[in-house]
Amino acid sequence: MKDWTGVLSLDAEVRNGKTVGKDVYFQGAYKVMRPVYHDDSGQACYYILNPGGGYLDGDRYQMQVTVQEEARLTLTTQSATKIYKSPRSFSYSEMEFTLKNGSYLEYIPDPLIGYRDARYKQKTVVHMEKGATLLYSDIITPGWSPDGEKFSYHTLQLKTEIYMDEDLVVFDHIKLSPATQDIEGLGFMEGFSHMGSMIVIGEKSNAALLDLVYQELHENSTDFKIGLSALSVPGFTLRVLANTTQVIEALFAKCHMIVNKEWYDINPSFLRKY
Amino acid sequence: MTNNVLSLFQLCDSNFPTGAFSHSYGLESYIQEDKVHDQPSFLQWLNAYLNEQLIYTDGLASRLVYEALEANDLESIWKLDRMITMQNLPRETREGSKRTGERMLKLVESLYDIPVLADYRKRIAQKNSFGHPAIVFTMVGHHLNVAKHTTTLYYLYSTVSSLVQNAVRAIPLGQTAGQKTIMEFQTSLHNATDKIQQLDEDDFGIVSPGLELSQMKHERVNIRIFMS
Repeated sequence: MKDWTGVLSLDAEVRNGKTVGKDVYFQGAYKVMRPVYHDDSGQACYYILNPGGGYLDGDRYQMQVTVQEEARLTLTTQSATKIYKSPRSFSYSEMEFTLKNGSYLEYIPDPLIGYRDARYKQKTVVHMEKGATLLYSDIITPGWSPDGEKFSYHTLQLKTEIYMDEDLVVFDHIKLSPATQDIEGLGFMEGFSHMGSMIVIGEKSNAALLDLVYQELHENSTDFKIGLSALSVPGFTLRVLANTTQVIEALFAKCHMIVNKEWYDINPSFLRKY
Repeated sequence: MTNNVLSLFQLCDSNFPTGAFSHSYGLESYIQEDKVHDQPSFLQWLNAYLNEQLIYTDGLASRLVYEALEANDLESIWKLDRMITMQNLPRETREGSKRTGERMLKLVESLYDIPVLADYRKRIAQKNSFGHPAIVFTMVGHHLNVAKHTTTLYYLYSTVSSLVQNAVRAIPLGQTAGQKTIMEFQTSLHNATDKIQQLDEDDFGIVSPGLELSQMKHERVNIRIFMS
């Protein structure tokens, strides 16, 4: 497919114990800054920018990222992804991540904000080798609406497929269409407005880790609700329903911290935004 | 010769021992939070479960498996078996579906000689496939020459009728209220089956966040009468 609004491709490899971008290419409304090294682990952190300021009618974005053997990469955004009114057609974003053996990818973007009549589709495909580790997250939030309506976006659809050594191991498909669904009813958002999903896959994942994450995150609170469950491969899904981005980010940061501490004995750096 | 529709109906009987009676698919979490506590609130849950999860997973899988059987395209069936298993992110419901599927397959194999079912069993034994009741049921429906639409409708009916039986025990509801629910739900089942025919393959696996979260939460429920 051509006519992309923004294209980004990044190939990260290890050079002298440090993860560096081997091939970095971007065009149109996608841009990355020079990598930041938050600590001495050699893990590179790239901030993705959307100079266009937001996704408009029919915009199409494509991102391809490869993390070579033993490379460690954090990908995040500089600010929230804003999806604006899309009367004619969906805006679309396609992401493909390839993780080689021994590599580690953290994908921790800012939230996706669906404004009035926004229509958006996202497709994420991850190909990982068995010894690779992934921490992937998404946050979906409704944009401010002048008449105070809680869900004014039309449709936000996110499809995530993760393959391990060619086999499908995770298939996650969320489609929120307040325009056609009873989204305030039982079974949808359960009275909340924001949703976060985090998927963690790594060979070291086990029941004890899930217990630890649950113990640290679960509270009998009216501010949020969490769901945590083991995947069919070593790893887990964490889902959060809440009313603010901050609550979800705080829970994700805790989970992120636990995973890094348990698996790599490092404390992840707070992702500094400008 | 046995009546084909009756033969398929045997699989819908709540006495057909697939183990479905021990799975609530997240309903028990709602009952414990007192969000489902009577017939109207149960109907609300059942409608959400049918229309926001089941049609995109089991229902659409049933239709696609039937079409693949007609085209003798077994590869598509094995792919669907993996997709329907991997989209089921809550561990308990994923394992529950696998167990129910395997038990249904074993029972059906003692009743019928269906080559594709034998292939499915072998693949499950070799861990190349996982097993799912919607797929087994559809293979039987297709073998019995029951129409595609009817096969899906009966499968949905069997799922709903065991969920109603579970609700009668767990909420609890009276037996009469349970039967009334099944009757009132007939229109919903017809509408859902019609909708499934209109779905695109790309709609496969859509889940509603709240329903899924309740299925995940069930793992951490201390006192329980269901396995999911």
